Amino acid sequence: MTLNHGFPVAELSHVMTGASPANPTLPGPAASFESLFASCLSSAYGVALRLTRSKADAEDLVQDAAFLAHRAFASFTPGTNFRAWFLKILVNSYYSRRRREKSRPVTSDLDDTPDLYIYARSGEAGFPTQGPDPAAQLLEKLGTERIVDAINRLPEEYRIASTLYFMEDLSYEEIARVLQCPVGTVRSRLHRGRKMLQKALWQIAEEDGIVSQPARQDDA
Amino acid sequence: MSRLDRTNCEEAFRRLDDFLDRRLTPEEMRIIEEHLEVCAWCTREFNFEASVLYGVKRKLRQLEAPPDLVTRILSRLPPNPEGEG
Repeated sequence: MTLNHGFPVAELSHVMTGASPANPTLPGPAASFESLFASCLSSAYGVALRLTRSKADAEDLVQDAAFLAHRAFASFTPGTNFRAWFLKILVNSYYSRRRREKSRPVTSDLDDTPDLYIYARSGEAGFPTQGPDPAAQLLEKLGTERIVDAINRLPEEYRIASTLYFMEDLSYEEIARVLQCPVGTVRSRLHRGRKMLQKALWQIAEEDGIVSQPARQDDA
Repeated sequence: MSRLDRTNCEEAFRRLDDFLDRRLTPEEMRIIEEHLEVCAWCTREFNFEASVLYGVKRKLRQLEAPPDLVTRILSRLPPNPEGEG
């Protein structure tokens, strides 16, 4: 669909349809633990890396989760989503680790982020909001590692939900099962998490000189 | 912008996240799409938000596990998990 104003709604479909590869972790009934685990390792490692923010801790967390999943494999229902099942164990393992550590109070200046943050700030900073995909241009300039840094700045509950959403393309219902919380809670965390992420991305863009910092920071 | 248009824009904006995640009913999706066909302002905002969402997803999914990680982890597991096989 192309709009009268020249803004193709069809462009939205690449987000709305997920554009993700077929799920490789919906196996036949005879799939072994080893093959299922190998097929979702990159997903699990990516999530673990976002949770722990450390490569060594991420490997340890995946190892812990693999051990628990291996032991509990009899409870896995063949033909269902192994990746979601494994991620639930992984997130639980992460929470167990966190409980063993001293909880650090989380403070964030992201809580009060208004809607359309990047869009609004782009307009103020003279960064384009029209033309051929200006948001993609900004993300390209930031690069993957700095986008990861932005995710890492989110408060934990938003960081975990956002990681599962952005990295794994899990449905709200699947994320709710992984986190063992109501779907409404997932929806709320994702909506707030998106706003926080936009502010974190913009902060990093300012820090890196991709966009200019305002002379008077009255929203920080 | 007329009062009716303004109301439509607000209603559309309130559903932006759910629209992008396809969490609306087919009827709600159709109403939003119809609004976007006639409202350049909302379409620009929706496109921008969709692009941020898609761009972050695309970037974050480029991460790969270390190549030998699966071997290392599997080699440390006990040989026969309960109930397998």
